[in-house]
Amino acid sequence: MTVMVEARQVGKSVKAQDGQLHILSEVSLVINRAESVAIVGASGSGKSTLLGLMAGLDQASTGEIWLAGQPLNELDEDARASLRGQSVGFVFQSFQLLPSLTALENVMLPIELKQDSQARHKATQLLQRVGLADRLTHYPNQLSGGEQQRVAIARAFASEASILFADEPTGNLDTETGAKVIELLFDLNAEFSTTLILVTHDDRLAARCARTVRLSSGRIVDNTAGADSAEKVESTPAPGQEGAQA
Amino acid sequence: MSAADQHPLSSRQEGRRRRTGLGLSGLIRLATRFLWRDLRGGELKLLTLSLIMAVCSVTAIALFTDRLERALLNESANMLAADRVLSGRQQPPRAWLQEAEQRGLQTGEFISFASMVFSDQGNILVSAKAVSPSYPLRGDLRVADVPFGASFISNAGPAPGTVWVESRVLPALAIEVGDPIYIGNATLTVSQVLVQEPDRQQGGMMENAGPRLLMSLNDVPATGVIQPGSRVSYRYLFAGEQQSLNTFAEWLETQPENEYRLRDVREESEEVSEALNRAESFLMLGSLFAVTLAGLAIALTARRYSHRHFDHVAILKTLGLTASQINTMYSLLLGILWVVAVVTGSLTGWLIHEAILAVLGSLMQVTLPAASITPFFIGALTALLCLAAFALPPLWGLRSVSPLRVLRKDVAMEGSSQWLPYIAGVGGILALILWYSGDVYLTALIAIAVAMVFAVLALASYLLLKSGTSTGMRAGSAWLLAKSALRRRSQQSVLQIMVFAVTFMSLLTLSLLRSDLISDWQAQLPEDTPNHFMMNITEAQLSGIEAFYQQRNLQGNPFYPMMRAGLLTVNGEPVRRSRDDDAQPSNLTERVAEDSGPGNTPAVDDESGQMSVASEQDGTGDDESLRPVTRQITWTPTLPPDNEVVAGQWWHDDARPGEVSVEQDYAERLDLALGDELVFEIEGQQVTVTVSSFRTVRWDNMQPNFFFIFSPGSLEQFGATYLSTLLLEGEQKLMLNDLLRAFPTIVVLEVDAIIAQIQRIIFQVSSAIELIAALVLVSGALVLLACVNATLGERYRENAILRTLGASRQLILRAMLFEYAFIGAVAGMMATLGAEAALYFLQTQVFEQTFSLHLWVWLAGPVLGTAIIAGIGFAATRRVVNTSPLLVLRQLTD
Repeated sequence: MTVMVEARQVGKSVKAQDGQLHILSEVSLVINRAESVAIVGASGSGKSTLLGLMAGLDQASTGEIWLAGQPLNELDEDARASLRGQSVGFVFQSFQLLPSLTALENVMLPIELKQDSQARHKATQLLQRVGLADRLTHYPNQLSGGEQQRVAIARAFASEASILFADEPTGNLDTETGAKVIELLFDLNAEFSTTLILVTHDDRLAARCARTVRLSSGRIVDNTAGADSAEKVESTPAPGQEGAQA
Repeated sequence: MSAADQHPLSSRQEGRRRRTGLGLSGLIRLATRFLWRDLRGGELKLLTLSLIMAVCSVTAIALFTDRLERALLNESANMLAADRVLSGRQQPPRAWLQEAEQRGLQTGEFISFASMVFSDQGNILVSAKAVSPSYPLRGDLRVADVPFGASFISNAGPAPGTVWVESRVLPALAIEVGDPIYIGNATLTVSQVLVQEPDRQQGGMMENAGPRLLMSLNDVPATGVIQPGSRVSYRYLFAGEQQSLNTFAEWLETQPENEYRLRDVREESEEVSEALNRAESFLMLGSLFAVTLAGLAIALTARRYSHRHFDHVAILKTLGLTASQINTMYSLLLGILWVVAVVTGSLTGWLIHEAILAVLGSLMQVTLPAASITPFFIGALTALLCLAAFALPPLWGLRSVSPLRVLRKDVAMEGSSQWLPYIAGVGGILALILWYSGDVYLTALIAIAVAMVFAVLALASYLLLKSGTSTGMRAGSAWLLAKSALRRRSQQSVLQIMVFAVTFMSLLTLSLLRSDLISDWQAQLPEDTPNHFMMNITEAQLSGIEAFYQQRNLQGNPFYPMMRAGLLTVNGEPVRRSRDDDAQPSNLTERVAEDSGPGNTPAVDDESGQMSVASEQDGTGDDESLRPVTRQITWTPTLPPDNEVVAGQWWHDDARPGEVSVEQDYAERLDLALGDELVFEIEGQQVTVTVSSFRTVRWDNMQPNFFFIFSPGSLEQFGATYLSTLLLEGEQKLMLNDLLRAFPTIVVLEVDAIIAQIQRIIFQVSSAIELIAALVLVSGALVLLACVNATLGERYRENAILRTLGASRQLILRAMLFEYAFIGAVAGMMATLGAEAALYFLQTQVFEQTFSLHLWVWLAGPVLGTAIIAGIGFAATRRVVNTSPLLVLRQLTD
């Protein structure tokens, strides 16, 4: 089985007024190709920090992270940017679409970054796939939250990335819209055989993943396969309710 | 199993080699989209407007000055009838003319002298000018067929055997065109009426005493009027390419025994060149202020723009764009903006300058040459410098935005210098000053002054804001809320106060300088400036002349007794004539004062009916170093207008004989002190006087001015002639004939044309100055808007929170009003201080004006600052309180 992401004894600390603040400590994790992994935990447990480190958005203070076969701690910011452009897709809680670009242009951007002349064609197809064929020329502020997140999902798959990072993808959406977006995300994930790593408070969303990694105070406290997680989830409250598992 | 071993892309080198990337065309597309969207969304509107403003004002100013300067140069050349002139009382070597011709220059020459001319019915003193066939090299001769008739341009001067005379000569001699007149031994025919000659006003009194008679140089020997010792002025004229003129001038410098100097119009006419130099300095300063203010607006908007693009850059980096691609993209964006601004700004600048010319066109009696390409080049280069210095540095910092910002908003920059934008901005302003002024010394001086002003401003406003302690928001009253807002944002508030202060300071400095300059010029030559000098008046004629005035309702001016005196000793030490005193005074008044008087006026013996040419009685032939300094002197009980006593006392009613008041600069040249004892030689007798005061004199007011004024009773025993001035307009000029017929020995110097010309030039430059001040005002307004806008974001957030917590709109509005009013008041005060300091420096060092405090500004500055900033701030922030807090908070969570 091919390893897509591997964290070895990763730690992250920042300077605080009273010394060092340790956000992550001795985190080790292996994620294989086409696997779907949910990272859960209370607010401040270090979920987003771990996601940022694994995606190469930030650098670990200690330990090593390998992403798509590249040792991130040996790459400079430009090399990490190239690696992200090549192998990584993102879906964020706040959508992070470029307000200056239309839906179509936002989706075209990662394809253009790969210097693919078919950018417009591919982006159009993807937007059709997420049900936004009639919103191509709309700017983000002309779209609803759900629509913006669908554009973001289309953009994440546009680069034909092998790894998809999602940070609270339903956090800014109502239950119904969130559910639709999750459907879409997993459908496309299956379709493109992408490795999916998502950070969430939403247990229903976590339950859809093959594996759940639970963080507490910057350490992995649970790293179990999907079936277990799914069972646990049965008894948890509705999605979107913060701190349900704290 | 490790990722490195098993991943298909596991080679590190391969990973590094395969950089993702948009090509240049992709980056251009992206930059264009960003630009277009941000322009439509309004984020780049202010930046673009400021940039266009910079290009527009610089181009308009450069176009205007370029064309005006070239037009004035052309007109100046006309004023000389040549590009350069060589003049002297002795004939310069003729070989010099040949040398100039060999160098490809056009040449011409003339001699001028005062002479009596006769007809069978009468006689008149004329200033005769005998010209070579090529005269004039520049400008036109206008003639008419009958006196006061319609004029036309003549292609050649008078043919040998003929003369042209000004209209009023004909009635004075009771002749008509075609009749003969007698000059010395020659009989010549009047063939045309002379209406205008280009260089009518050049030269000393000799060339301007009495109406003009133009004749051929070939006829001069036949007249026999020029004898050894005759007072004659010789002029050689040169015209041609600038380069050839310059090399010829250099060649002349190397000629042995060369006492002549090649002059252009600037050296010939101090009144004109002074006005031009000041106007040029002002225009340079104006464009500098306009560009600096536009640059400030650009820097502020670019800073805000870059802040708003942190998120965009983080997303782009997440998607794989590298730091250098980010830089390239934003540089491209600025590049496109540059093209847009240059095209739009040049076009607007051209339109504005055309509009001014349309307004001024009817008033300007010069034809403007076509615009050259240089002004557009200057505008484009200015925009590039503005972008590089003010807009690029904040945008360059975007390369350091961490991609992690997509997850955490509080992450901003990594290791980028926060000082870069400031250093680049200051560097940019200094580069602009250096470029526009071309003066390293001035630039360094300004740099030090600005640094000091900034340091003081920053420290003062910081201390003011930090005075006292407070915690929390003090949300109870509007004033306390405002105070706490100012303290919490102290760094930002200091920046705002400084920006506003600098803007107000620029506007105040420029408008005060403008009004001082213009009122100075208006005072120099008011509308009723006398335009005729009357000299050689004897004491016996005074009452007759006054009666003549009364009969014709003419407003006379004081009569100054004049005589020539040689300064022999100062405190017993002999005075050596310094080389300096030999230089011909370039100022008209000095020339008049120097050329006139009994010693030097053409001694025309009208009683005997004999014609003669005035002879030089200036002690020629003496050993040069032993000749005393000779000057025209006068005495008067009252201080002449435009004279100001700067040291000692002017004699009032208690005037005692034996005192003298000396012109200040001249006194410095002679190293005089109050109480010094001076011995003059007048008519062979020695007169001893004591220096009792020093005076400043306005040499450019075209009025009688003197180096030495004696107290009444000191000189009455000597024979004096009198000098006075008279204002004659239009038809009144014909009265000159009556006057000269009644008092034939009087010499009249007509300076009406040159006064009109100077007034015209002053009007032109005043208009240009008004325009520049207006352009600077617009730039200033842009800065104010940019600065208020720059802090709106934070206000939105704070006020949304306050309102959510229950603060009323009224409270928040009042608090913001207080906050802006405070900032405005402090900025206004500092601007007033700064403007006075800047004016002191500019007026004393650059414009050579006297500086005096503008007391009303000390009140108006802070009041205006408060009103303007409170007004603009209030208008801008009304939006803040009118936006629903929910909307603001929702946007803030994004």
